[in-house]
Amino acid sequence: MSVAQWRVARVTPLGEFAQPARITGTAVRLAAQVFLVVCLWRSLYSQVETSAGLVRDQAVTYAVLAVLALQIRGLDRSASRDTMLQHIQEGTVLYWFVRPIPPRRYYLVRAVGDQLYGFAWVLVGYTICLTAGAVEPPASGSAAAAFAVSALLAQVIMYQLLLAVDLLCFWTLQNNAALTILRFLQNLLSGVIAPLWFFPDWFLTISSVLPFRYTLDVPLSLYIGRSPLSDTPRLLAIQLLWCVLLAGLTRLMWRKAAGVVTVQGG
Amino acid sequence: MDAIIARDLTKTFHTIARRPGFVGGLKSLVAPARIAKTAVDGVSFSVREGELLALLGPNGAGKSTTIKMLTGILVPTSGEVRVAGLEPHRDRERNARTIGAVFGQRTQLWWDLPARDSLAILRDIFDVEAEEYRRRLAEFDDLLGLSEFWDSRIRHLSLGQRVRCDLAAALIHDPKIVFLDEPTIGMDVVVKEQVREFLRHQVEQRGRTVVLTTHDMTEVNRLAERIVLINHGRLFFDGSLTELRRQFGATWQVHVTLADAPADVAVPGLRVLRRDGPRVAFGPGDGATSTHEALRLIIERYAITDLAIEENDLEDVMREAYLHREQMTA
Amino acid sequence: MGLVWRITRLNFRAVLEYRAEFMLKVAVGAAWQISVVVFATVLLTRFPGMGGWATSDVLLLASMRLLSHGLYVLLLGRVTWTHIVVQLGQIDAFMLRPMPVYRQVQLAFFNVNAVGDLLVAASLFVGAVLVVDVDWTPARIAYLVVALVGGVLAEGAIGTALGSAALHAPATAYWSMWLDELMTAFGNYPLHILPGLVRDAFTFVLPLAFVAYLPAAVLTGHLETLAVPGWLAVASPLIGLLAYLASRLLWKRSLRAYKGYGGT
Repeated sequence: MSVAQWRVARVTPLGEFAQPARITGTAVRLAAQVFLVVCLWRSLYSQVETSAGLVRDQAVTYAVLAVLALQIRGLDRSASRDTMLQHIQEGTVLYWFVRPIPPRRYYLVRAVGDQLYGFAWVLVGYTICLTAGAVEPPASGSAAAAFAVSALLAQVIMYQLLLAVDLLCFWTLQNNAALTILRFLQNLLSGVIAPLWFFPDWFLTISSVLPFRYTLDVPLSLYIGRSPLSDTPRLLAIQLLWCVLLAGLTRLMWRKAAGVVTVQGG
Repeated sequence: MDAIIARDLTKTFHTIARRPGFVGGLKSLVAPARIAKTAVDGVSFSVREGELLALLGPNGAGKSTTIKMLTGILVPTSGEVRVAGLEPHRDRERNARTIGAVFGQRTQLWWDLPARDSLAILRDIFDVEAEEYRRRLAEFDDLLGLSEFWDSRIRHLSLGQRVRCDLAAALIHDPKIVFLDEPTIGMDVVVKEQVREFLRHQVEQRGRTVVLTTHDMTEVNRLAERIVLINHGRLFFDGSLTELRRQFGATWQVHVTLADAPADVAVPGLRVLRRDGPRVAFGPGDGATSTHEALRLIIERYAITDLAIEENDLEDVMREAYLHREQMTA
Repeated sequence: MGLVWRITRLNFRAVLEYRAEFMLKVAVGAAWQISVVVFATVLLTRFPGMGGWATSDVLLLASMRLLSHGLYVLLLGRVTWTHIVVQLGQIDAFMLRPMPVYRQVQLAFFNVNAVGDLLVAASLFVGAVLVVDVDWTPARIAYLVVALVGGVLAEGAIGTALGSAALHAPATAYWSMWLDELMTAFGNYPLHILPGLVRDAFTFVLPLAFVAYLPAAVLTGHLETLAVPGWLAVASPLIGLLAYLASRLLWKRSLRAYKGYGGT
């Protein structure tokens, strides 16, 4: 990573550090969210032992990790006027095209910086939750390894999906609504709203053929040991496949998006 | 040596026409009706190294489209562009290192970072050496007074402060050629003057080539050596301010009060516009004459007790020029 | 009132101009509500007897909350956009017009999402009312209606209070959004499944309990599961009204102290 890339990657974290109130805000929000999620799932399990093949601690661990994982799904940059949509609406995206770093790489480096920053939050949150007993350690050593690989691939898929949604802004300036629906689908189908195991079978089938599940549910299920280890190669292969497919798609979209600016004038 | 060459530059945009109503909307989806709009139409001009060129024209004339083509953001539909010998849209990254740009009120700085951090990021993106960066920053600070506010985050800066930072950001990599699309829009007079001084310094001391669009005629008056006028996508004037005045605004009036009132007042080369006893108003005759020349001619012939010169200001000249162009196209 | 109706109609017509966008926005509202419904159904089928309530009782609670939320978004919801109105500088323009600023904020645009919200909420509500084991006497029906209005007002109170804060610090929008998420996540369940402290916070700090939980407890006869006295639960609609009036006072005071935004 060159100095320039390092500088670019730091933009969002630096902006956060410049405003301690935001950091406190994130901490408070995260703590409250985790606490409430733990309360909710524990009380739900007060009557039953096992549900959908998950025991209480598995469900709680899944739900808490999902809350933490939201921190690395791309920070909300709208307060910093730094989302793709804002840059396109305000026309500041022009500057991306008069710098000696290609817009594609600039976007990637920014995203990597954001996600590393989010990852720091996850690590701290995870350590606290683990110590406090809100989450269980991984089901086994091999589960931990499978989780690590799967989580990395999940992050790549996540990046591609966010990028694809962002790139859509080049065509649908007004279409906030479409973007909202996509984001919502991501949350519903990836297990953020509730662990996917609780949903009916048809729902699981649908989510298995879409990429969203592979951004969160798959690594978390490996972590808590709900997905058998023997299933790991298959799951990782599907994740890899999505990485490749989406990378191809976003590549194409970038080329077209650049065309929107350079041919149609944005 | 020409820093910028534009030859027969043309840009046509294709937009999809919306048909009214729901059925129309569906129709547009199936068989979109494309409308071609030519924003820039065969514009040719060149800019010498170290020259400050004002690109002027009414709103929607095609100035910004031209600037976007010169900066390599837009690909021309036809025609040729050379900026410092490069074709901007083909060689975007190399071109980016030789040019700097400010697009009106749009800032390229990061909203939540102090201005100085933003400049440091750009320094690294453009590979500026540390020593050079320090020197340049000091120079910019000297001219623009940046240090008063460069530790504040961009979101807390006033418009004038932000644009000054943006100017510094556009010049941090020492570009030979600078494009400024309405940089002083919405600024107060003091800041405007500071920015003009800065630009003058960049052109005269640093030898930069500057292309400027603006609607501020005082700015044009103070800064521009050469003016290019565009309207409806076509270039219709390219020359100096004096030439522009001669062509579109040679309507000065010299009011004199004669010491003794002869029956017949006439000065060769001048026209008598009005006469009211000893008070006479002269205007330019057939051969365009400057006010100095006119004064000399009048004083040679008559003894005068009072004198006033009324010259059309640049805004009048521009209005005349824009309207003139409208008539030609009509 | 005629004026309010006319402006609303114009706003509605304005959003109808872009039909695709309109349908998408309706879909967003519906999708959002459906996700809540899905989540609730998942929980209800997997974990029957939540907090000692029958599944249909929880369903009634959830549907009351969703319906009053939908109505709130339609009728009073624009107040949560105060921060944007402030940032765009529109509030200054509103102050120059001979109409209360609050009403102008409410009339700023037509929130299409609410249509989707309401569609889903209304169907769920009808289903829940039919399924739930409650003898629908005229008195109970009347109470149900009053409770819904109270729910709208209670949520309006929260929104208006946050809007008042946004008049001075648009950054509070961050917290409003979070509170909205919290209320969506927990408003649909019997709050006593949460630890006492949290339950009390959702009752006395953030009056979420009065929106649907307490009135639903009254209707389904679960007063004994509550931590508050029965009369307080019955008086929920009144509390909603009082909270709303108080929030309007707060708004008025905040507006008087409005200092403008940006432009240093």
